[in-house]
Amino acid sequence: MFKNEEMEINLGPQHPSTHGVLRVKLRLDGETITHCQPIIGYLHRGVEKICENQSFFQGQVWTDRMDYCSAVANNLGWAEANEKLFGITVPRRAQYIRTLLNEFNRIASHLIWLGTHAMDIGALTVFLYAFREREDVLDINEAFCGSRLTTTAFRIGGLREDLPPGFDKMVNKFLAKFSSCLEEYENLLTENRIWKKRTIGVAKLNAEDAIALGVTGPMLRAAGVAYDIRKAFPYAAYAEMDFEVPTRTEADTYARYLVRMAEMRQSARIIQQCMDGMPEGPVMAKLPKILRSEVNEVYHATESPKGEIGYYLVGEKGSLNPYRFHVRAPGFINLQSLPKMAQGGLIADVVAAIGSLDIVLGEIDR
Amino acid sequence: MSEPNAPQVPEVPEAPAGPYIYDYKAAPNRQIAMPKTVPLPSRQTYLAEQKAAAEADEAKWQKTLADYETAKAKAEAEGKDAPKAPVRPVPRKDDNDLKTPSPEDAKDADLLKLQALLGDKVEEVFEQAGELVCQVKKEAILEALALCRDEAALKYEMLADQTGTHYPAAKDFAFSVVYHLTSISRRKRLRLRILVPEGFVPESACPLYPSANWMEREIYDMLGIRFANHPDMTRILCPEDWEGYALRKDYPTVGWGQRDISFREDRGGMLERIALQKAGQLGINLKQPKAD
Repeated sequence: MFKNEEMEINLGPQHPSTHGVLRVKLRLDGETITHCQPIIGYLHRGVEKICENQSFFQGQVWTDRMDYCSAVANNLGWAEANEKLFGITVPRRAQYIRTLLNEFNRIASHLIWLGTHAMDIGALTVFLYAFREREDVLDINEAFCGSRLTTTAFRIGGLREDLPPGFDKMVNKFLAKFSSCLEEYENLLTENRIWKKRTIGVAKLNAEDAIALGVTGPMLRAAGVAYDIRKAFPYAAYAEMDFEVPTRTEADTYARYLVRMAEMRQSARIIQQCMDGMPEGPVMAKLPKILRSEVNEVYHATESPKGEIGYYLVGEKGSLNPYRFHVRAPGFINLQSLPKMAQGGLIADVVAAIGSLDIVLGEIDR
Repeated sequence: MSEPNAPQVPEVPEAPAGPYIYDYKAAPNRQIAMPKTVPLPSRQTYLAEQKAAAEADEAKWQKTLADYETAKAKAEAEGKDAPKAPVRPVPRKDDNDLKTPSPEDAKDADLLKLQALLGDKVEEVFEQAGELVCQVKKEAILEALALCRDEAALKYEMLADQTGTHYPAAKDFAFSVVYHLTSISRRKRLRLRILVPEGFVPESACPLYPSANWMEREIYDMLGIRFANHPDMTRILCPEDWEGYALRKDYPTVGWGQRDISFREDRGGMLERIALQKAGQLGINLKQPKAD
């Protein structure tokens, strides 16, 4: 009556919990996963090839569209990589505004993660709460650059525009209520028995495996490794900021949840410091009208909400477009750890594992 | 005149034989220009270029001086006024925040250590824009990676990124493969680089750094470099039956069956018709020239 053989099923490519078009091939023994293989490439648009055939400036809009949840962070990495390639010093005020917007972006990205991750696991209410605050962050984006998601916020050498009038009022209004909002989410989840049962001890990835697999970001910090590029290789204005790198040692889905919640608090702290210590001055470096590269190759990594986003650029002498444009997408590398987390677990926990990875397929496939 | 809304059936050209399926004729303005130079940063080439440029500058100046002398002698012989003495041009200084980084000699302890340990397997070490670069022989990459990971003084625990670049203009190699290593404990970054010719199969970094698995698959998918001892050397982003390697410089950006929509040309006259129609609705006569 019972067959004692393994079953192979597909999770995705069209599945609400895969956050995009991700196909996961699973081999099951009952409900236990014996083999897991993520299959990607459904959203491959050839961003690298396109950016190699466009000017240095035009590549920016493609960085927005890779990880559309953290467009500002992608822009920041892109802008800084180009600045490193050309050897541009960015004015201090521009650095502060970049840091400020980047932290807002981190909050927005973590909120969308919180909402969708909780929804995947079955806690539907948090989604509505998280998206309420995310709207405010998007309004701040809109006030700064006129666009909400694909911001194209920065330019090579600084910013296009200074902060708009009334910006500080918006920020202060947001900061005043945000900590109580975080408490609201935590009241819904942190001590929730069902949430704890679904997340504690699920999808474990210890520090050794995480480092070997190149996993970065909150995933790595939840495994007890305090590696944050904002601290380790400071960029923008992070060297002047006072913040902590939250870590946990449990290395499970619950620990990742706690790390991300703590990170949002730290982001609010950094925003407050940016607003308090905002220097005066220009927001754009003095640059020639046309930027022509020299022979140079740079790899610049920044801490995006998902992990280390790195841009590898090669410049040709006298050229207007990059000779090589490569993106080290955090999701691409982090997703490699899914088999390690899922194998041996239950099928329902794969959804929790994917949610705790916080992936965006637009960035993974590029 | 045909119906304005008649569907236009595009003529689908037949796929030409060859490694890639594309149609250059459909979009001549979007052809890929093959690179003529090899933008591979290197201290040696930089120094050689600097030397050559200085020599060329000096030669030019000497020629100007010689021309001046002959002109002066000629003017004296003819009894005319002597010509103006030439002034050596000073390089123009731009007042901007741009300071292009150039490759510099390796001073970092890590690079010197690697050079000492690997000996003649290191082809070049230099620093540029604050980044450490070590180019090793293509056969010795696994040894270099193992040293970087296990040597107590280096300890690069993570392979953050691995990618390649196509250099079709180069003579003795076709690709560079770069490994970006990160030391979490020592807060350092290092770039290892190998130059591989077409068809060469470098050793896979997977046994040392499991994170190389997908990155090497991506390199194979995009550039066509295969890696030896890789657990699963298949395409990752493109379908398995995809032809060609997209990030090679000779891979075209316009494909077979892709229509190049050019609004300026407006071959069918569709846009003009729409414009006239809209203008007619508004009571504007576009055909008549505007009175001054």
